[in-house]
Amino acid sequence: MSENKLTQTDATLNPPTTDLVNIKINGVAVKVPKGENIIESARRVGVDIPYFCYHPRLSKGDAANCRMCLIEVASTAPDGSVRKMPKPQAACTMPASEGLVVETETPAIIKDRKGILEFLLINHPLDCPVCDRGGECPLQNNTLFYGPPTSRFIEEKRHYPKSYPLSEHVVFDRERCIQCARCTRFTEDISGDSQLGFLKRGADIEVGSFASTAYQSKFSGNVIELCPVGALLSRNYRFKARPWDLLTQKSICTQCSNGCNIKYDYRVDKIQRVNARLNEDVNEEWTCDRGKFGHDYISADSRLREPLVKRGGKWHPISWTEAYALVAEKFKAAGSNVAGIGGANATNEDNFAFQKFFRETLKSSNIDHRLGAYQGPGAGPIFSRLGYHTTGTTIAELESAKTIFLLGTELADEQPILFLRVRKAARFKGAAIVNALDRAVADTTSASDFADVDLLYRPGTEVALLNGVLNVLFSKELVAAQDGLDFSGLQSAVAEWTPEKAAAETGVSAESIVRAAELLARGSVAVIAGKTVTEHAYYTDIAAVLANLVIAVGSPAGLNIPVTDFNAQGAADMGVLPDYGPGYTPVASAGLNTRGILQAAASGSLGALWIVGAELLEQYADTKLAESALENCQFIVMNALSLTPTASMADLILPVASAAEKDGTVTSCERRIQRIYRAFDISGNVKPDWLVFTEVAELLGGGAPYVSARDIWRDIAQTIPTHSSITLKSLGESGIRWQYAHPAPKPTVAAAPYKAPAAAGTSRA
Amino acid sequence: MGFLTDLTRRVKETQQALAEPALGTKALATGFGITFKHYLQQQIKLRPTETIQYPEERREQFPRTRWRHVLTRYENGLEKCIGCSLCAGACPARCIYVQASENSDDNRYSPGERYAVKYEINMIRCIFCGFCQDACPTGAIVLRKDFELADYHRDDFLYTKEMLLEPAPITGLIPLTAITVVEPAASSH
Repeated sequence: MSENKLTQTDATLNPPTTDLVNIKINGVAVKVPKGENIIESARRVGVDIPYFCYHPRLSKGDAANCRMCLIEVASTAPDGSVRKMPKPQAACTMPASEGLVVETETPAIIKDRKGILEFLLINHPLDCPVCDRGGECPLQNNTLFYGPPTSRFIEEKRHYPKSYPLSEHVVFDRERCIQCARCTRFTEDISGDSQLGFLKRGADIEVGSFASTAYQSKFSGNVIELCPVGALLSRNYRFKARPWDLLTQKSICTQCSNGCNIKYDYRVDKIQRVNARLNEDVNEEWTCDRGKFGHDYISADSRLREPLVKRGGKWHPISWTEAYALVAEKFKAAGSNVAGIGGANATNEDNFAFQKFFRETLKSSNIDHRLGAYQGPGAGPIFSRLGYHTTGTTIAELESAKTIFLLGTELADEQPILFLRVRKAARFKGAAIVNALDRAVADTTSASDFADVDLLYRPGTEVALLNGVLNVLFSKELVAAQDGLDFSGLQSAVAEWTPEKAAAETGVSAESIVRAAELLARGSVAVIAGKTVTEHAYYTDIAAVLANLVIAVGSPAGLNIPVTDFNAQGAADMGVLPDYGPGYTPVASAGLNTRGILQAAASGSLGALWIVGAELLEQYADTKLAESALENCQFIVMNALSLTPTASMADLILPVASAAEKDGTVTSCERRIQRIYRAFDISGNVKPDWLVFTEVAELLGGGAPYVSARDIWRDIAQTIPTHSSITLKSLGESGIRWQYAHPAPKPTVAAAPYKAPAAAGTSRA
Repeated sequence: MGFLTDLTRRVKETQQALAEPALGTKALATGFGITFKHYLQQQIKLRPTETIQYPEERREQFPRTRWRHVLTRYENGLEKCIGCSLCAGACPARCIYVQASENSDDNRYSPGERYAVKYEINMIRCIFCGFCQDACPTGAIVLRKDFELADYHRDDFLYTKEMLLEPAPITGLIPLTAITVVEPAASSH
């Protein structure tokens, strides 16, 4: 794996080496890294070489098949004589070498380009006016700049059925395909599913899936953006708009916690499509299908546009003034016997105003954003031992890890962008992947396709498995001595967990455990634990053993137990936790957590409950408890986008702004703070959550009202020391990952008890 | 006070002028004489008439004049417009809104895959430059000679697709296959 022939050639991905060579491009002398391809080198001197199939993030192995980037090349012999290569060369596969002389604008090359485009257009239909790619099409652009004005081919073009549905999201127009192989290489190099390939040969060659089955991928939307013509198109966006009809606003994807940079393309107040925005630190230029096609809810007709109150079992629209009066009355009557749930899908500003409203105005700490059984990051054992709550590694750092250990996760579903990085590390950077799976959840995951070791363990035996790995590390003396760390206690604690015993307990073969331990001992380890772990009844024990593991292999910053909800990280940072205030400062008297709140509500003792966008019925682990809480609570007000099952059980619904309708910041699972921007309003009667809390707080006689999200950010920066140096301006295009202020604590080793599955109960997932 | 004295003086002068019948009559006769001369000349066609009796008469428009837009059809009745939005892109006043949709065999508006489901022109914004006509790849949108575009309400200037579209030829729009001949029920009479 380590000596992989495939290399990525983007200059920013492969920083210039010291090994530079002198080349000449159109008479301009330039020093470039040895082996860099000439398209990239030409960019350095501002020379534009047209291309279709080349893409810096795809392997160059199959490229050079569009022939658009032809250049004339000559080499300089040691005696100074220049020898020209007899035929034009493809710039995308031409490595830079000492004394190379490149010409891109000679009459021959100009004629070649015209010829190539004339060839490509023999069969490419000229239906640009009805093609969704028209207006932003590389083939259109290159034809305009480099192509011939007319064609000599007057024969009938080939015809195939239009708009063949390749997958749930992608339609394929075979007539338009120019066989650049970008999509096929994407499925092979990036998403890893290898679903698309070339069928047939010669003039009949076409892109397709095996036996014409549906193209199934969690990242299929990317091929739409990659396709240099209008052959692969979005089913969702089909015929909805032309590029010049659209307005664009930058945003962050709301579908998971990875914080992908996206842009909304919208018309008036309807989102037409979502495209990826470049951020090398997060999503590079990719999106997952959930992110690319999952934002229809923002402009859905079901969005609420005015406050609704339930009277006699029916919903009546009321004004905000009446709604506020009702909320103020109920919350005043309830005193501090109130609670708030939610915020994982709201911005940092919303969450800060939410907790401030509860803590300062209502004098209650009964707030919680966590809906799953997962009680991190506030309660995790990681912080005290490793110095961080959820993620030690950034997304970008994953690709430089030597070994990546995935535990109990279908990463492509839970953390799609982390999955792409893991896949990139495995494919391009020679990382080894150890994929441990709860066999009750799944036999195989997307990562199994490229994992070096698959460990399929019995439900609930994670701790045994990890202890087995630790045992091998110690018995084979793979643990390097570390300053001030005494492993003897841990060593004797795991001494009984020989690979054979661990194998018997977990159902994994002893050889696999040994192999996994050997791979983990290579150093520079990143561990990613997923839902099977976080939802586990004995989550804290597993986390403790994972901490032991990363410390033993010498990567104490390598543990990642990322959150999954959009801004769950930010909600925790802002203090929407019963026991911690903003910046994880412990509060004097801890309030009720989600379970406590719901139990109080179910018993009818809770005066008033405020739900901030949390879909309790769909997302809370204990649906029965949630149901009885919603039924028996005396008064429920909910900030909602639409009339969801949970919202329909509330007493008052306040229509709030979606991510496309408000400014603010969100924090991704790697603690990266990024901005979202208001694109449009679906109605003048919809307010952002923070404004609702501010206005109600003012009615109840609490603090100074905020006037904008920016205003709240100033307050956040003043309140939370780790955020103090961050201004909205300093966030820039790629955001800032906030850093813990204290120096990382000295890692400590502490053996965790193993509870056999019978005693521990099985995995909750 | 000066103003009042001045007014009184002018009233007096006017009264004096009118009191002299010969002077008033002469001026009137001279003036109407010119009018009468022209009237006679026109009546006996000595000089051409420039005035058009609008709205009873309308002046012939120049062949390339650009007024109200029309969305044209093919001879078989299908719409030429394919909803490509190039007109909207070319429009310097940004007054065209096009929303496209997909044709199906059962519900066909235009040849090919795509047709305009909405086509609106804001006639208050339009500057009648004709760029939309130039940009149109199918010759669907044309500016024709109907210049009487005044209206009473702003909303009425938002021309919809139905207003812009040429009337369909009677037989063209209905595919022959869709017509089922219903036999008159003989028993009812």
